[in-house]
Amino acid sequence: MLRLAYRNLFQNKVRLVISAGGVALALLLILSLDAIFVGVERQVTAYIDHSGADIFVSQSGVRNMHMASSSLSASAVDEVKAVPGVESVTPILYLTNMIVVGQERNLAYVIGLPPEAVVGGPWRVARGVSIPAAGEAVIDRGIAEKSGMEIGDKVKILGQEFKIAGLSEGTASLVNSVAFISMEDFARMRGNAQAVSFLLVKVRPGESPETIAARIEAKVEGVTAQSRLVFSEQERKVIKDMSTDVVAIMNLVGFLIGLAVIALTVYTATFARRAEYGVLKALGARNGRLYRVVLAQALYSAALGFALGLAFTLLLSVIVPRLGLNLALQVSGASLLKVGSLSLVIAGLSAILPIKQVAGLDPAVVFQRGVK
Amino acid sequence: MTSPTLQITHVTKHYGSGATEVIAVRDVSLTVEPGEIVLIMGPSGSGKTTLLSMMGALLKPTEGTIQLNDEIISALAENRLPDIRLRQFGFIFQDFNLLPALTVLENVAIVAELAGMKHGAAQQKAAALLTDLGLGERLNFLPEKLSGGEKQRVAIARALANDSALILADKPTANLDSKIGHEIMRLLRQIAKEQGRSVVIVSHDQRIKDIVDRVLWLEDGRFKEMVTMATDPVCGMAVEREKAAATLEINGQTYYFCSKGCRGEFASQPETFLGSETHDRYQSL
Repeated sequence: MLRLAYRNLFQNKVRLVISAGGVALALLLILSLDAIFVGVERQVTAYIDHSGADIFVSQSGVRNMHMASSSLSASAVDEVKAVPGVESVTPILYLTNMIVVGQERNLAYVIGLPPEAVVGGPWRVARGVSIPAAGEAVIDRGIAEKSGMEIGDKVKILGQEFKIAGLSEGTASLVNSVAFISMEDFARMRGNAQAVSFLLVKVRPGESPETIAARIEAKVEGVTAQSRLVFSEQERKVIKDMSTDVVAIMNLVGFLIGLAVIALTVYTATFARRAEYGVLKALGARNGRLYRVVLAQALYSAALGFALGLAFTLLLSVIVPRLGLNLALQVSGASLLKVGSLSLVIAGLSAILPIKQVAGLDPAVVFQRGVK
Repeated sequence: MTSPTLQITHVTKHYGSGATEVIAVRDVSLTVEPGEIVLIMGPSGSGKTTLLSMMGALLKPTEGTIQLNDEIISALAENRLPDIRLRQFGFIFQDFNLLPALTVLENVAIVAELAGMKHGAAQQKAAALLTDLGLGERLNFLPEKLSGGEKQRVAIARALANDSALILADKPTANLDSKIGHEIMRLLRQIAKEQGRSVVIVSHDQRIKDIVDRVLWLEDGRFKEMVTMATDPVCGMAVEREKAAATLEINGQTYYFCSKGCRGEFASQPETFLGSETHDRYQSL
C-alpha cells in the first residue's frame, strides 16, 4: 500500500512539483533564516573567537561585549598579571560606534590596541599593518572596498580622522565590523581616563583557562573573568535573546505556509482519487490501510520538500558569501532537527482532512461512478 | 448435494423514510449454486445496483437475509464486512476501476496482499493469473496502455486473486465492443465451470444471455418471470405478455405493446421498428 502512495504521488508530476516545491520553499524560509542567525552569531563572536585570548576579564557583572560597556582601572592589568598561571595580559579599550568610510557609515566594534599587544588584534591581515600606530586604523577590507577606500585613505572613527594603515579580513558581519585603532588615540578621545575596557589573558601552557579565570576572580577585586568559550557563548546568547521573537515569527510563517501547501495538495490528490479509494474499500481494504496511504503521501511530500529545502539552503550558503555580502549561512544540527520535526508535524496535520474524506467514502460508490 | 454459494431470502431495501421513502428492492429471493452464472437484467432504476451492492456486502438490507456459503453476512457487524469482501468476493466493474498509478501486476497483487499474502507470493500469484488470462506480456504496463478488453481481463484476474467463491460483475461488457465483450463472457463462463465459482452479472447487454445459465428480470425492485416478458418494439419498455396493453400479429409473429399509442405507431410503419437491434432484443426475449 505504501507503494501505492508513492506511485500516486509521483504519477502526477505537476502536483508533485507544487507539493514538494511549496514545502521546500516554506522550509527553506525556516532553514535559511536559522542559518543566517547561526552565521550572524558566529560572525558576531568572530573577534572573541579569533582574539587569541584564553580569558576575558571585564568589569564585575559584565559578561559580554555586544551592547555592553566595561571599565577596569589600569592597575587591574598588573593585578591580573600577578595571578599564578597567567602568562600575559593585553588591555584593550572597546566601544560600539559608527565609523565613516567614504560615504558609508558602518556600525563597528572599535578596539583600542596597545603597541605591544600579544593578542586582541586582527587575526588575518590582507594588506598593511596589524597593530595600528597613533593616527592609524585597521579596518575590514570588504568595508573599505565597498567605499572604494585603500590603504592611505582616511576614515572617521569616534569623530576623528584616521589613516587606513591595514586591511583585515573576516572582521565584518551583517550587523557590524571590527575596527582597530591605537590605545593611545582611543584613550585620548575619551579624555585620557586611566581605565581599560577588557583584559585579554593568555594562560601558561598546560593551565586550564577555567581554573585561572576562577583564580583571577578570587584574587582581583571588582572583575569578572571568563574563559574565551564561556565569554563567546554569553555573546551568542545575547544575540539569540534579541532575535528569538523574529525567528519564532518567521518559523511560524514557514510552518503555516508548509502546512497549507501540503494540506491542499494532499487534499486535492485524495479528492481526485476518491473513486480509487472507493474501489479499494469495496475490494475490502480497511480504513486504517487507506489512512496509511494518505499519511504516507503527506510524509513523502514533506520528506521531499525537506530534502529540497535543505539542498537550496546549502546552495545559498555557498553562493551568498560569494556575492560580496557580509553574510554567512551556517546550517546547524539543531536547526535540522527542528525543521525535520516541523516537517513531520506538517505531514501529520495535513493528512487529517484527507483522512476524514476517505473515512466518509461509501464503498458502494464503485457501482455508481468509476475510474478509468 | 452441495450447498448454494449465495442464498438471498426475502430481501428488501428501503432508502429514506416517510414521504421520501424509496423501496429499491422488494422481497427478493435468489439462490446461486456453485459454478452457476446468473444474469440479472432490468430497466434503469429497477434496483439491480442496490441488489448487487447488498450481495457484495457493500450495503445492508432493510429486511431479509443474505447467506454466503454458511455465513449470514447480512447479520454481520459493519466492521466485519471489509474482511468478507476481501476474502469471499471478486468484483468486476463496468469501468474496470483499475488503479491507474499501479502496473497490471500490482493491480492484481494488491488484493492478495490486502488479504494477508506476502509481497513476493502475491506477485507470483498475480503473474500466474495474468499469464493464464493471456496478459503475460503486459505485467509491467500501466492500465492506460491497455485496450478495454485487456483492462477487463486484468479486472477478472483481480477478482480471482483472493480465491473468491462468488464473482459479482457490474455491466462487465458495457465498455467493450461485441467481439471483446463475448470473449470476456466466455472467459467468465470458463472460470465458473472449471473452478466451480459462482458468477452473478448485472447487465443490459442482451448478447450475453446465451452464455449464462439463468437470466432474471428485475423490475420495480422485484424479479419477474422472463418467459412472460417481451419488449415493446416502439419504446423498448419491458412488457408482461399476458398483461400487455395491446398486441399485434404480423406474419405469424406477435408483438406486445405497453400502450395503444405504441401499437398505433408500430402499425403505421412496422419496418421502422423492425430494425436489427430492437427486433433482435424482442426476439431474444
